[in-house]
Amino acid sequence: MLEFDGLRKSYGANVVLDEVSFTVAPGQMYGFCGSNGAGKTTTMRIAMGLARADAGEVRWQQRPIDLEVRRRIGYMPEERGLYPKMPVAEQLEYFARLHGMNSAAARCSATDLLDGMGLGKRSKDALEKLSLGNQQRVQLAAALVSNPDVLILDEPFSGLDPTGVDALAANLAERRSRGVPVLFSSHQLDLVERLCDAVGILAGGTIVASGTVAQLREREANRQLRVVIPGSDGHWARELGYAHVDSAQDGVVLLQLDDPSRDQDVLSAAMAAGSVAQFGWRQPTLVEMFREAVAA
Amino acid sequence: MSGSDRTASLSYDRTGDVRMSSSRVVSLIARREILTRLKDKGFIASSIFIIVLIMGSVVFQVLIQSGASNVTVGLTGAPQGLSAAIQEQADIFGLDAEVIEYDDESAARAAVQGEEIDAAVIDGNSVLVSESLDDTLGAAINGAVNGLALARRLVDEGVDPTILQPVSLDVTALQPAADDAEEVGEKALVAFVSILLLYTLLIFFGQFIAQGVVEEKASRVIEVLLAAVRPWQLLAGKIIGLGVLALAQLVLICAAGLGGAIAFDILTVPGAAIATVVQVLGWFLLGFTLVAALFAVCGALVSRQEDLQSVLLPMTLILVAALVLAITAGQNPDGSLARVTSFVPVLSTMVMPIRVATGSVAWWEIALSVALMVLAIVVVVRIGGRIYAGALLGKGGRVKIKDALAAERVS
Repeated sequence: MLEFDGLRKSYGANVVLDEVSFTVAPGQMYGFCGSNGAGKTTTMRIAMGLARADAGEVRWQQRPIDLEVRRRIGYMPEERGLYPKMPVAEQLEYFARLHGMNSAAARCSATDLLDGMGLGKRSKDALEKLSLGNQQRVQLAAALVSNPDVLILDEPFSGLDPTGVDALAANLAERRSRGVPVLFSSHQLDLVERLCDAVGILAGGTIVASGTVAQLREREANRQLRVVIPGSDGHWARELGYAHVDSAQDGVVLLQLDDPSRDQDVLSAAMAAGSVAQFGWRQPTLVEMFREAVAA
Repeated sequence: MSGSDRTASLSYDRTGDVRMSSSRVVSLIARREILTRLKDKGFIASSIFIIVLIMGSVVFQVLIQSGASNVTVGLTGAPQGLSAAIQEQADIFGLDAEVIEYDDESAARAAVQGEEIDAAVIDGNSVLVSESLDDTLGAAINGAVNGLALARRLVDEGVDPTILQPVSLDVTALQPAADDAEEVGEKALVAFVSILLLYTLLIFFGQFIAQGVVEEKASRVIEVLLAAVRPWQLLAGKIIGLGVLALAQLVLICAAGLGGAIAFDILTVPGAAIATVVQVLGWFLLGFTLVAALFAVCGALVSRQEDLQSVLLPMTLILVAALVLAITAGQNPDGSLARVTSFVPVLSTMVMPIRVATGSVAWWEIALSVALMVLAIVVVVRIGGRIYAGALLGKGGRVKIKDALAAERVS
């Protein structure tokens, strides 16, 4: 278990993190969302010892993360950075060895990763000679090369083309299947929704929503009814005293109930108003849940 | 990553893991520094330039010294004893004369024309030269010829030859020099060449260390590094890595320089010169550690190579001051300026070797100077290490030392 427990952090009067707590289970892919400046990077940097929390701690298997533990973590910083003039393979080997691998294992791991990324032929080139997209892949390889027990990746998908996204997703899924917890931040919520089994939304310095995507849906489950009566202008819904209409357009009415158990009453009223084509509680997208959570 | 089957085949266990002791981490970092520099064309070119520069100055010394003091004189039809007299006279004038006897005048003339010899004395009464007769050599030959002629005439007149034995002067030194003057001179020469070398290498490697630190900050690789290593390990690895390279260069230059100097007879007392070189090497180790740490800390304060020179300027000026003070100390090794500065860390690196070579230094003075140097290294590595660690993660322009000390540091 990777536990973030009550992290607080402020820079002067600016409170960045205010009681941030969440847990990433082994084999879990945890999507870390939040607006720009919400504190995602700060949270990750605290875990990597690059910033110090004012209060709270980060633990891995009940042990506070120290340098020893950190060597087993693969980290990709928000601000990418490797040695520009150092050959790619040599560079990956160096990082693998700094993380504790012996030289043979480091070489083997670096070669395998580069070959897997289709960069095997570039392994002797200096990093700066590669295209930006390929440099991004090497950066990912640097986080993965030591076969880490935990992955903390800050915006790993930004800058990748769709093929790169798929390849990285496959790679992460494979590591996850071996029990590696993966924490990654992303602005691409559709991606998070597709890949993650758990999501945390950071807003106002605290986790406003956290859990599996299904759990979040559950929480939002009985919020909005969607009723489709082709040809209707939605007037019928506005006359219901116990419902609040969010929108009514092209026969599609979205409404919220003060008391969700009265959904059958809404159905009756709808049937009275016309021929009901669709009726049901709406499944919110992560984007909507995100907007909801951040706005709250 | 398109071949995820490839990575899937990797075993998950990290059996290749080794225990990461600090010395292991530091040696990995040092190793990278050495390998990277050895592949860096700029570094290799600069190194060769420095070696050529130092060798050039040694060769220059050889030319100057050999040109001034060595003369070759040819003789033909000379009266008996002239050869010895010329050598005696030349010695008085500070010349090292070699005398070659020729069978006849034409052979001597050919030797002068071929510039094999500086002058030829014919029949003990005329001199042949190529262009003009060197004043000192002329005086020496003149003195020898006239002295010999005078002695022969006196003997011809019946004077007892024993009367002509020169009176030997009894020399009493009011302030006897501790060492033989020649030995002191040679030690001073070696010390000067050595500290010039020391100065060049300190500036050169200091720059490389600072550039390396800025490179890691500018490229932001520092975040990836600090996730796995401690700042002091990074600092130590850099200093040791470049220190090994610098020491290798220094030993190479010293060995070649010393060997060359002994081979060309600039140094006739190699024992003393070698002792001086060993002493300078010792000072180099102390000085390099301190200066490298200071340069690294300065480098950590900026994020761009363009800003580096301005933060390095104070350090560079201190080194220039040390060189100037060391040269001054060579002229007055026991003056109070030399005495005081030979205890001040950084300055002492260059002033103390000169004082030891040219003046009289008590053993406790050397011990105190070394102790102060070691103390300074401890303080700089402690406080400088904190500034380094605090400044490493700083971004943008220049980090103030005060802010770096107050900044949060990674553990």
